[in-house]
Amino acid sequence: MVRSARIILALAALVTLPAIAGAQFGHPLKGQWSGERTTKGESARLLLNLDWDGKEISGVVNPGPNAATVKSVTFDYSNVSAWGVKLTAEGKDAAGKTVAISVDGKLENIGAYRRLFHGTWVQDGQKGEFTVTRN
Amino acid sequence: MRQSIRTALVGAAAAGVFAASMWVTPEPVRAQAGEQGAGGGRGRGARGPAEPTPRLADGTVNLGRVPGEKGTWRVPYITNMAMRVIGPDGQLIPDIVKVQQAARAGGAGRAAGGGGGGGRGGSKSEPWMPWMPWSAAVYDYNSLNESKYDPEGYCLPPGGPRMMATPYQMEIIQQPEHKRIMMIFEGATHIWREIYMDGRKFPEGDAMNPTYLGYSIGRWEGDTLVVENKGFNENSWFDYFGHPHTDRMSVVERWTRPNKQTLHYEATVTDPGAYTRPFTVAWDIPFDGSAELPEYICQENNQYLNRLVDDLGQPIFGPRTQPGQKPAAARGTK
Repeated sequence: MVRSARIILALAALVTLPAIAGAQFGHPLKGQWSGERTTKGESARLLLNLDWDGKEISGVVNPGPNAATVKSVTFDYSNVSAWGVKLTAEGKDAAGKTVAISVDGKLENIGAYRRLFHGTWVQDGQKGEFTVTRN
Repeated sequence: MRQSIRTALVGAAAAGVFAASMWVTPEPVRAQAGEQGAGGGRGRGARGPAEPTPRLADGTVNLGRVPGEKGTWRVPYITNMAMRVIGPDGQLIPDIVKVQQAARAGGAGRAAGGGGGGGRGGSKSEPWMPWMPWSAAVYDYNSLNESKYDPEGYCLPPGGPRMMATPYQMEIIQQPEHKRIMMIFEGATHIWREIYMDGRKFPEGDAMNPTYLGYSIGRWEGDTLVVENKGFNENSWFDYFGHPHTDRMSVVERWTRPNKQTLHYEATVTDPGAYTRPFTVAWDIPFDGSAELPEYICQENNQYLNRLVDDLGQPIFGPRTQPGQKPAAARGTK
């Protein structure tokens, strides 16, 4: 009984504490993002690792052997609560063929720990949707 | 008092009223020896004729209490640090003086700035700030939602100069025999700060672990304590109004005690991640000769957190809404 209560408390703490301990208020796009993209009804895991050096956003899409490197990121701040973000990236698939990525999305919930980045994802000419949240 | 301060810190409405009063009240920046009171320090504190600057046995300026006496520094509540930017002459920059004068003349100063920041003017109302496009947009966002996400409202520690702009008492303890200076902050979530006076260098690479308060190395330049700070994390704001910073920030602080009742504070902020050039802020902190450090625990009974929801209606703290469950905002939490 006591053990069960401890486990429940530990799980509750795991759910709650990251929001308190992990606050980050630098550039809103900086950080690790995870979620998925969907193209023609098929979904795939998505991981973005983005950084800000004071001049530009850099980073990778899906770190690993088939990672794509971020080439450019531009912002539209006309709606301060939902920034427009356009991102391009380039990588190679397992066969060594160049993979071009073009993203047109919205960055929302900017002040909260769990930020949301979503929109359209075009990869190798195939258009789909994507949603990632900041880890 | 505890409740009132907490309300000011975490309640957007009360803080807004307080912020407005801070905005329109002109403040001298530098206290002159012989003046009564301390310009930037508000409310109680220094009264009566200025007394000589106390010194330690070796002649070093004593930034703390005199042996055998009481006393703490009554840190002011500065909600908008951009209104404390000074020029090379140590005085408020002319743009701010104009805004203050306009505000005194009928509140036109706030409106004149315009901007997309809702009721507070946003970045356009502070054109002297060396914004980057993203930092201006973040500031406008924080203005629009009235600083809902202020980390200090979550009882997280202030970072950088905000330590000296968060109310409640503060005490400075010099330990020359240990080559360090300790600062104890009551209002800033019960934190302390250590300034190394032993001539060390900053850690490099991974050895520099980013923290809320950063890594502080100090030295005396005559009667001025100069403290260089690096290694800040990105978990804090400059102020209640929501000026952002990045982990590329460094801060040089300069402390003087022109008389017993006054501590003059200046901080030059360099953050190439958020601002295009450095800027310097300054204010005075009054000494309360009858005070001792009280106990204040920000985290205790902070009900504000329990009713805080993000832009998507999800609770910022605690479990997220599960499928089939109404968002917290719709459940009527308050």
